Amino acid sequence: MTAKNGSKHIGVANGGVSRRQFMGTAAGAVAAGSVAGFPNIVQAADPIRTIGLGVSIINEIQGRASKDLGFPVRGQALGYGAMFGKMLNQNDQYEIAEGYYNDMDVFIPSKVWQPIDTKRIKEWDKVTNLSKTGRLTPDSSQGQGDAPFRQLWLDEDGNRVKGPSRYISMLPGWHNADSLGYNPKDTGRKIESWGELFSPDFKGKVALLNVPQIGVMDASLAIEALGLFKFKDKGNMTKPEIDFLIDFLIKKKQEGHFRAFWETFGQSVNLMVSGEVVLESMWSPAVTAIKAEGVPCVYAYLKEGMRGWHGGCAISAKVTGKKLDQCYEYINWWLSGWPGAFVARQGYYMSVPENVKKHLEPEEWDFWYEGKPAAKELPDPFGTIIVEKGEVRDGGSYWNRFANIAVWNSLMDENDYLVKRWTEFLSA
Amino acid sequence: MQDFAQAQHSGLIGGQPVGPSQVAEARKTRREVGFPVGWLVAPATLWLLVFLVLPLISIIVFSFWTSAKGGLVPDLTLQYYAGYFYNEGFFDQEHRNFLTLSVFIRTLGSTFYFTAVVMVLCLIVGYPIAYFLAMQVQSFKWQMALFLVCMVPFWTSYLIRAVAWLPMLGRRGLLNSLLINLDIVDKPVSFLLYSEFGYTMALVQIYVVLCVGPIFFSLSKIDPAILEAARDMGATPFQIFREIIGPLSLPGVAIGMIFIFVILMGEFATAVVVYGGKTSTTGTVILNYYAIANYPFAAVNALMLMLSMMIGVVVILRIVDIRKEL
Amino acid sequence: MARWTPERRRKAWVKTGFSVYYMIFVVFIYGPMIAMFILSFQGRRGGTSFPMRGTSLYWWGKLIEPSTVGDLQGAMMRSLMLALIVMVITALFSTMLAMAFRKKFYGSGLLFYTVMAGLMVPGILLSLGLATLMRQMGIPAAWWSSALGVHVVWTLPFGFLVMMAVFNRFDSSLEEAARDMGADEWTVFKEITLPLITPGIVAAGLFGFTLSYDEFARTTLLAGAENTLPLDINASMTQRIRPTLFALGTASTVFSLAMIGLFLAIYTVLYRRSR
Repeated sequence: MTAKNGSKHIGVANGGVSRRQFMGTAAGAVAAGSVAGFPNIVQAADPIRTIGLGVSIINEIQGRASKDLGFPVRGQALGYGAMFGKMLNQNDQYEIAEGYYNDMDVFIPSKVWQPIDTKRIKEWDKVTNLSKTGRLTPDSSQGQGDAPFRQLWLDEDGNRVKGPSRYISMLPGWHNADSLGYNPKDTGRKIESWGELFSPDFKGKVALLNVPQIGVMDASLAIEALGLFKFKDKGNMTKPEIDFLIDFLIKKKQEGHFRAFWETFGQSVNLMVSGEVVLESMWSPAVTAIKAEGVPCVYAYLKEGMRGWHGGCAISAKVTGKKLDQCYEYINWWLSGWPGAFVARQGYYMSVPENVKKHLEPEEWDFWYEGKPAAKELPDPFGTIIVEKGEVRDGGSYWNRFANIAVWNSLMDENDYLVKRWTEFLSA
Repeated sequence: MQDFAQAQHSGLIGGQPVGPSQVAEARKTRREVGFPVGWLVAPATLWLLVFLVLPLISIIVFSFWTSAKGGLVPDLTLQYYAGYFYNEGFFDQEHRNFLTLSVFIRTLGSTFYFTAVVMVLCLIVGYPIAYFLAMQVQSFKWQMALFLVCMVPFWTSYLIRAVAWLPMLGRRGLLNSLLINLDIVDKPVSFLLYSEFGYTMALVQIYVVLCVGPIFFSLSKIDPAILEAARDMGATPFQIFREIIGPLSLPGVAIGMIFIFVILMGEFATAVVVYGGKTSTTGTVILNYYAIANYPFAAVNALMLMLSMMIGVVVILRIVDIRKEL
Repeated sequence: MARWTPERRRKAWVKTGFSVYYMIFVVFIYGPMIAMFILSFQGRRGGTSFPMRGTSLYWWGKLIEPSTVGDLQGAMMRSLMLALIVMVITALFSTMLAMAFRKKFYGSGLLFYTVMAGLMVPGILLSLGLATLMRQMGIPAAWWSSALGVHVVWTLPFGFLVMMAVFNRFDSSLEEAARDMGADEWTVFKEITLPLITPGIVAAGLFGFTLSYDEFARTTLLAGAENTLPLDINASMTQRIRPTLFALGTASTVFSLAMIGLFLAIYTVLYRRSR
């Protein structure tokens, strides 16, 4: 880290650099000295550590990476809160952060990660334009909020620039578009608009995501769909906009509209499987999981567009030297296609579809990416059959889905105010 | 018979004052009674200094810093304290916040109120269990075994037990099936879960054991001979309870209440799982601000929470003047 | 057999009444676990809520297989180790502190409230505060160092208060008698004090074990590179929740109950022998 970007943000995010570097060097020297007899073995087995959610930190993935790369990759999966806290406050405790673009408003200024040099990304050209320009196909809409292309480009020192440039904040990886999930048997009709989230027909049987930043987006999409209000930018609301939205939510809550607010993937699955809710904001693999448990569930394709999110690999600012080379090897490996195929079988997409295609069977490719009916039974990454023959993935093909992202998960400027009003909403 | 009032007891906070003559005598014989205090407290004090006091100081320092996107900026600002207390539109008749307290104070208040309710319920539910273990179960071995049986649910990770709430209390849960099979209700009831009722029950269920333990300990030290004597003198069971058992178990009650009070004030997970996140507690507020890296404001909330806990603990220790009761 | 006097009969009724209440109480606190027991035998394609889709031991088998996300077995071993260490330290420190508090000493009030503060600091911020300090000093976090530190801070007040309750109304005349007969402090402690306070020490240790084993918030930033069990379970919830967790819960419950049975048996045998 240079003195320049140390700036005045010391303390939690940065700090104590020189002393720590000194300690690190000293410890390294001691370690090198003590194992001087076996330099090669030590070098070969020197592990790198990566942290993230259970979305990308899966033993099979890091295990395969270790095998392919010839050095151990140790994954540590965490829940969202624990992951975020560790990424921001302890960048000396990991080399790779498998993070999310919607947190970049915090991570870019904090400089806890180093800019990634695209010259060292072998297949950078194959990464789609979704994360580079925001348009997967030339005529797709870019969507509001923290779309990856708005959070991607950096200069050499890690400051945000209007792209494209040589340096990036994070290597684009897995991503998806969230929507509403519903049980068609219980709703009795096809859900085609976000507005249904507030339909009186489903009173007491609706759940919303209890993460203020994302929960309000689903609500804002619904409010706009009902024609009640027009937000200037759903990814960055003003105080009066937040007020309108929260007041509306409070009214709905007091009417008893919501059954529950969920926080984890597993909760959202259980709510639907157990029949507590018939309609809820949902993630695509959760719908797959519900169907796997034998409960009918549809992942709605909504005419207003979906809410997108995008994850990727970042490198800690603390990493230098040989470790840094290993980090580049690891993040390059993420683009190799195998990891993309692995996450595809869970319903996530990867930033290099052409490489993924090589590692999927044609039937799998047709189902997961092209949105065609499954030509045969298809397994999840662990071999359990989760797709019956003839099933169709809701929402059409990858290109169709991502042509119509209404808003990306975001961190708003008025975040503090939002959390305050969200607290009021929950207490109401 | 042992005379309880005369026996030497140290108070909860420090011992009873030692008479000057005794001190003089102790000095004269150059023999200090018991292990030296310094050695007894040193390891724990050192531990607390490193792992509690220093981090606590840094939390206090954070509360005066500024949270900027991307990190903390050292500062000396009271803006987060102001943000905690000040409510926009408090004096504005037109505003929705006219004469309402800030949401953080209200949340602290409702957390406090809820805690008090659950404490009372825990006492009502837990006291007879402690009484049963101490007074009705004769052998020490069975006392321990039956007490441990109450502890066992704690040894299954809380996060796992939390997942089991839904299949137990949900609309298609076990309890609803039972109610339907017994013809108590004809269609599933939904108030068991994601409701204030379910939330209260869950908290009692999870934390009641914490007050059973200390009460059990106080009760088990009551000499059966006194009770026998009181009975011989013709005291009714109610009198015995009011005059002997009740007062002698008060320290245990106070300690159990402190446990429950402190844990419930900081509670956040149960609200999410059993109440479906439909309420906020001070714990969830701290977590929400922590999650967006606004550490100063999370720290302010935490300090206010600690302050109110401290007040609560002092009040409990005042109500049950432990030194006197013993 | 003794005759059933009205007094005996009344006592028997009271005892029966309390026993029934105890049983209802046990059902109450074990309530949500009943669903857990049943669902641990969920069929292969079922999930963590009803309906059951067949029955199987599939998820019990998964307990010993490597997990998909995280490292269930390793995390459990770490959490057990951590909880055992915390247990010992809690029992030791709280006994020492409570013994010190039998006397009035300078700063006892301050120390008392410092110990109590460990109960009150919100865990997540304690974790943040310590993590920041350690970063400044370049000390990496690990479950056996930093996490151990804050766990003891959390469990100590519980053990301490339990021990305070034990030493209150503690009859010190026996100790004094022993001292008068010339016994040194160690002998007094070993022969007189310790036997009297052993149940309290066990209880303090148990509090330590229980609270540490289940602690999540305090560990978030302090566990280092390897997760403890709560962190691991929390991470696994970013995926589908599988009945493996229920099998784990059921297994630990059955194991604990078996240990209590074992305790009863051992105690009975020892007690007989000592007579």
